[in-house]
Amino acid sequence: MFFSNSIHKEILGRAVQFLTEARLCFLIGLFALGSLPMGQANELEVMPFLEQHCIKCHGGEKVKGKVDFTKVTSPAAIDANFELWETAADALEYEEMPPEDEPQPTAAEREVFLNWYQQRFVKSVQAKPAPFKPRRLSAAEYRNTLRSLFGFDLEVAIIEAEQTIVEKSMVMKLLPTDPPGKSGFTNDTYGNPLSTVIWERYSYLADSILEELFAKKHRSQLRALSGPVSDQGFSEANAIRLIDTLLPRIFRRSLKPADLEKVKTPLMGKSGRQLVRAVKSEIKVALMSPGFIYRGVLMQGQPGKQQAVDEFELAERLSYFLWGDMPDEQLMKLAANRSLAEPEVFAAQLTRMLDSPKSRQLADSFAVQWLSLNEIDHVSDNPPFTMALKTQPIDFMDYLIREDRPLLELIDSKTAFINPLTAKFYGKDRKQMAAYKKQKGIEVEAVKNSKITLQHAEGRGGLLTIPGVLAMNRGPVLRGTWMLERIMGDHLSDPPANVGVVKKNSGGESLSFRERFEQHRSNAACALCHDKIDPFGFAMQAYDEAGAFVLAQGYQSKKKKGNKGQQKYAGGEFDTSGELPSGEKFQDFAELKKILMSSQREAVIRNIVQRTLAYALCRKLEIYDRPTVEDITAQLNQSNGSWRDLVKAVSHSLPFRQTILESEKS
Amino acid sequence: MKWDIKRRTFLRGAAGAMMPLPFLNLMEASAKEVGGGVAKPPLRFVTLFKPNGVHPPSWNINEGSEQDFRMSPLMKPFAKHKDDLIILDNMGDFGFSSHANSTRRFLSGHHANRKAASMDQLIADKIGKGTAHRSLELTTEGLFPNQVGCSYISYDHKGDPIPRESDPQLVFDRLFRNPMSHPEKRKQMGSLLDRVSDDAKSLARSAGREDQETLDEYLTVVRETEKRLENIKKQPASKIDFSSLKRPESAANLDEQVTAMIDLIALALWTDSSRCITYMLGNSNSRMIFDFLGVKEQHHYLSHFFRNFSRENIDGLLKISLWHMEKFDYLLTRLKSYKDQNGRLLDHCVVLYGSGMGHSDNHTATRIPMVIAGQGGGMLKTGRYLRYAKNQQVGKLHLSLLKKFGVETDSFAESSTALPGLDGSYFEPFKEKQFDRWIKKEGGGQFAIQGRLRMSDNLDEAKVFYIDVADQQSVRIEVTFNDFHRFNLAYHTGTPITLRGNGSDQGGQILINKVTELKSLFGKRPGSQDG
Repeated sequence: MFFSNSIHKEILGRAVQFLTEARLCFLIGLFALGSLPMGQANELEVMPFLEQHCIKCHGGEKVKGKVDFTKVTSPAAIDANFELWETAADALEYEEMPPEDEPQPTAAEREVFLNWYQQRFVKSVQAKPAPFKPRRLSAAEYRNTLRSLFGFDLEVAIIEAEQTIVEKSMVMKLLPTDPPGKSGFTNDTYGNPLSTVIWERYSYLADSILEELFAKKHRSQLRALSGPVSDQGFSEANAIRLIDTLLPRIFRRSLKPADLEKVKTPLMGKSGRQLVRAVKSEIKVALMSPGFIYRGVLMQGQPGKQQAVDEFELAERLSYFLWGDMPDEQLMKLAANRSLAEPEVFAAQLTRMLDSPKSRQLADSFAVQWLSLNEIDHVSDNPPFTMALKTQPIDFMDYLIREDRPLLELIDSKTAFINPLTAKFYGKDRKQMAAYKKQKGIEVEAVKNSKITLQHAEGRGGLLTIPGVLAMNRGPVLRGTWMLERIMGDHLSDPPANVGVVKKNSGGESLSFRERFEQHRSNAACALCHDKIDPFGFAMQAYDEAGAFVLAQGYQSKKKKGNKGQQKYAGGEFDTSGELPSGEKFQDFAELKKILMSSQREAVIRNIVQRTLAYALCRKLEIYDRPTVEDITAQLNQSNGSWRDLVKAVSHSLPFRQTILESEKS
Repeated sequence: MKWDIKRRTFLRGAAGAMMPLPFLNLMEASAKEVGGGVAKPPLRFVTLFKPNGVHPPSWNINEGSEQDFRMSPLMKPFAKHKDDLIILDNMGDFGFSSHANSTRRFLSGHHANRKAASMDQLIADKIGKGTAHRSLELTTEGLFPNQVGCSYISYDHKGDPIPRESDPQLVFDRLFRNPMSHPEKRKQMGSLLDRVSDDAKSLARSAGREDQETLDEYLTVVRETEKRLENIKKQPASKIDFSSLKRPESAANLDEQVTAMIDLIALALWTDSSRCITYMLGNSNSRMIFDFLGVKEQHHYLSHFFRNFSRENIDGLLKISLWHMEKFDYLLTRLKSYKDQNGRLLDHCVVLYGSGMGHSDNHTATRIPMVIAGQGGGMLKTGRYLRYAKNQQVGKLHLSLLKKFGVETDSFAESSTALPGLDGSYFEPFKEKQFDRWIKKEGGGQFAIQGRLRMSDNLDEAKVFYIDVADQQSVRIEVTFNDFHRFNLAYHTGTPITLRGNGSDQGGQILINKVTELKSLFGKRPGSQDG
C-alpha cells in the first residue's frame, strides 16, 4: 500500500485553489453527504475523525501541505479528489499522520477511517469508461499522420552535420511544442486548444504538403494516390481517384458516397492548372476540417449510452497508441468490414503492429516521456555524446517490448546497448560491441548501439543502472525522487521553500555527506518525504555524477573495512545501505533491486500499468479506472507477464474499448 | 523609385534551371508609387559569413598597392568584380581565437562585445524601418550546442543570439506569400473558412455535449481568423503584387540551398522587402561534408590543414574554400543583375564578406579575410586593396560603416576610431621596412636565421614554411605541430623574423626541424589569450 499511487502535486495544487472556505461549510457539507442512498459508504462515519485529527491543520484557517479537507463537500468532489483520500489513508496506515507531537488516534479510530476508505474508494468503485471527448492531434501525431497520408515528410531545408542539432520536420518546427497534459503525456492535448496561430500553421502546412505532392520530386507518391499520370498531365480521372483514396484516410474512416460526390463535383469539367488548383483546394478543406484535426469527432454511436467504440475509432485508438500514427490500410479495411474486434483478428493485428518498426514510437515517445529521458539532453552539450547516452535507455525499452520480455526486466536485465562513446562504462563486456572505425576526417560522430549481454560489467543491468539515467539526476535526492515517482509511481509534494543547504563538517567533525544530510533533514516535516526518497537515492551513491560505477574493479577502499556497504571514494564517505518504510533493509543497490523484483514488484507493475493506460487513453486516470488498473496489475503480477501481455491487456481493457456518449447538447 | 526593368528578368531557381520571372506588376506598381518623381534609392546592407578561416597562402595578397594589385588564387572566382570591391588586409587582433569568439567578432567587432547588438542590427534599426522585414538572419545548418556562439553572427540589443532561418521556401513564403498580406492567399483563406465552418456546423447538429465543446472551440478560431482577414482588407493594399514570383523548388544539396537563398536575398533587397540581411554559409566551425564537391571529410577537420596534413586534405579544403568564393561571386552577380536608372542594385548596397579568423589551423586572429563590395550609393570608393600598416581591430571597420549608414555613435565594441580609407580618405598603408637577411651557423646543428617568413605556396607541402634570405636558397622550416603552434608561425607569416633552431645543411639548403626561439623584427608579440 505504501507504494501504491498516492498524492500529488496536481491534486494538492488544485486543493490550494480553494483556500479560505470555512469550517462551517465543511460541517454542512458533510451533513449533506450524510443523506446518501443506502448501501454506499457513509461520509458521516469519518466526520468525527476528520474533525478531531485532521481539520486543525488541514482545513479552514490553516492549510498545511496544501491539503484542505473543508473543500471537499459533495460526493462528486470526493470522487474527483480520490488521490487526496488515498494519501490520507496511506498516512494513517503508516502512522505518518497525525504528527508525533499531536494526539494520536486509537487503533479502532484508524480502523474506522480505513474501512470507510476501503468501502468508498476500493470496494464500491465500478469500472466505467470515460465520457467521450474529441482530442486534437498532438504535433508529433500530426507529423506522423501527414507522413502516412502522403507518403513523405515535410522537411526543412537545413544541412545536417555531426555535432549539430537540427529540427528537420517542418511540422515540429512550426507547430507550438505540446505541453504535457494532466496525464503527464503530450498526446493528452485536452488542455491545449486550437488557436489562431495553430490554425495559420495548419493552413501553411497543408499548403506546403499539397505543393510538394505535385512537385516533380514526389511523382511516385502522387502516382500511388491518383494512379498513373499520362503525358497529357493530371486528368479528371486522376483527380477523382486522388479524392477517393485520400479523403477516407484523412478522416480515418469510410465516407458516404454522397459526401465524396460533394467533394468531386467542383472538379468536373476542369483541366490542367485549374484542375490541380481545385483538387488542392478540396484536399485542403479536408485537412483543415475538425474531422482531421481532432480525433474522434466523427465517431458513430448512440447518445446517452455506455457502448463499445465504433470500429474506426478502435483502429484509431490502437494505431495512435502503438504507432503514434493513423491506422494503415490493413486496419482501415478491417474496420470497414467490422472484423477488427474479432479476437483472432485483433490478436494478429497487435502482433503485426508491435513487430512493425513504427512501434518504436512506444520507446521513443511513451517511454521517453514516462521516464523523463529528455533530461539526458542536459547531461552533455555535445550531441553525439547526448545521443549515445539517450539511445541506451530508448533501445533498451524498445528491446523489452519488441522481444516481449517480462515486465520486471525493466529493473534487472542481462541485456544492454552500447556504442563507442558509452562502452567505457561496461568493462570487458565492451568487447562484444560491433567493431567501429571512425572514418577519416570525421571528428566525433553518433554511432548506432550494439546489443550486448552483460557478463562482466559491474553495477549494470536494468534501466536504473544505465549511465544516462543516472547522470540526468544529480545527487541522491533527485535520484531518489525520480525513482519514487517514475518507477514506484509515488507522488511527492513540492519541498518547502528555504530548506537551506547541507552543512559542511565543522572543525573536528568527519561526518559523511549522508550523515550530515540526515542531520539537515531530521525534522518531522522533512522526514515525511525523505524517509521515502533517501533510501533510493543513497542506494545509488556508488554511481558518480556521470553514471560511472565507482566501485568497479580498480577501485580501492582507502579505509579499512568499515560497516558493510560503507565505502570510500574520491569525494569522501558514502553509504549505500538503507531501509524502506516497509522495514525492508538492504546494503547496496543490488540488494535494493532484488527487493523491487520481489516484495515491491506489485507496486512497480502497478506503476507501469498506470503509465501505459494513461498514455493509451491520452488522459489522466480517474477513480473509475482504478478497477481496470488493479485487474491488469494482478493479472500481470500473477503470470509474471511480459510487455506485450501488458499492451494486450491495455488494448482489451474497458476504458480503451468502450465509451459513454453524452446524450444532449447543453 | 522608378525601376527600369526588362520585361523578362530571370531568376535562377534552386535546381539551377532558368525560370522566367514576370516582373510586370512589380514595375507598374513601383512606377506608380513614385509618380515619376526623383527619389533616392534606399541603402542596403548584406553580409556573407565564411566559416573556418582560410588557408592563408591561397588567400593573402602579399604584393601590390592600393590601386595596382593582383588578386590571390582564392579570389579568382570573384575577380571579375574587382572594380566593385574593397579588399581589406591586416584586419584583426593579436591573439588566437576560438571559433565562438571569431564568430562574435565578425559583426560584433570584438569577442568581448557580448552585451550589445551586432552592427547589422544597429544598421537595421536605421535603415530597416518601413520595410516589411526589418532584417533577415539566415544560415545553412543547425545549432552547434557545444559552443553555441559558433552558430550566430547576429545579436540583439542584449547581445543574445537571433534565431536564424535556413529554408529558402520558408523564407520565400514569409516574404512573398504570407496569407495575411498576399491578396490571392487571402481570398483562398476566405473561401476555406466558409467551407470548413459549414462542415463544422453540420457536424455540430448531430454532436453530443463534449463534441459540441470541441466544435465551439474550432468555430471560434475560424471566426477569429475571419475577423483578422476583414481587418487586413481594410488596410491599404500593398502596391506590389508578388503573386507572379516563382517559389524556389526544394533543394537537393547545400549548393542548391545556398543558391536559392542568395536568389532570395537579391529579390528581397530588390523588392525592398528587407534592407538588412545576414547570411552564414555555415557555422564558424562547420562540420559539414561537401559531398557534392566530392569531398568526404568534414570542413572543420580539413581546415586544420597543418595537423591533419595531406595533399588530398589540402585539395579538399581548397575546393570548399573556392565554393565559398563562388557563392560570393554569385551574390554579387545577382545584385548587379537588377538595374534601374539609378544603376545596379549592388551600387546601393554594402556587402561585407569574410570570416572571423585568419589561419584556419592556428586560429590566428590576424589578417582576417574581409572584403567589401558595393559603394553604398557612393559613400564608399571601390576597386582598391587596403593593406593597413598596422593591425586594425574589426570594430574600427564596423564603427566606420555604422557612421556611413548614419548611426550616431562614437565607439563600437573596443574601438573608438573609425577605420580610415573606405571612402578614399587617407590611411597609412603597409610599407616594407629594410632589414638585414642572413644565416648564422652556431655549431651543434644550431642555426640562427633572419629573413621574411612565408608559407610554402606549393600545395604538396602546405605545412612547410620558408624564410627568404639574401643570396641563398630559402631556409626550409619543417616542424611539428607543437612548434608551429607554440611559436605561432602562422601569426608571423609574411613578416621579418629572427629564428633560432636545430637543423641541417641539405646540400646548400638549410632545413630546420626544431624551433628554439623566434623574435619579430618590427611587429608585436602575438598574444597568447583568446582574442
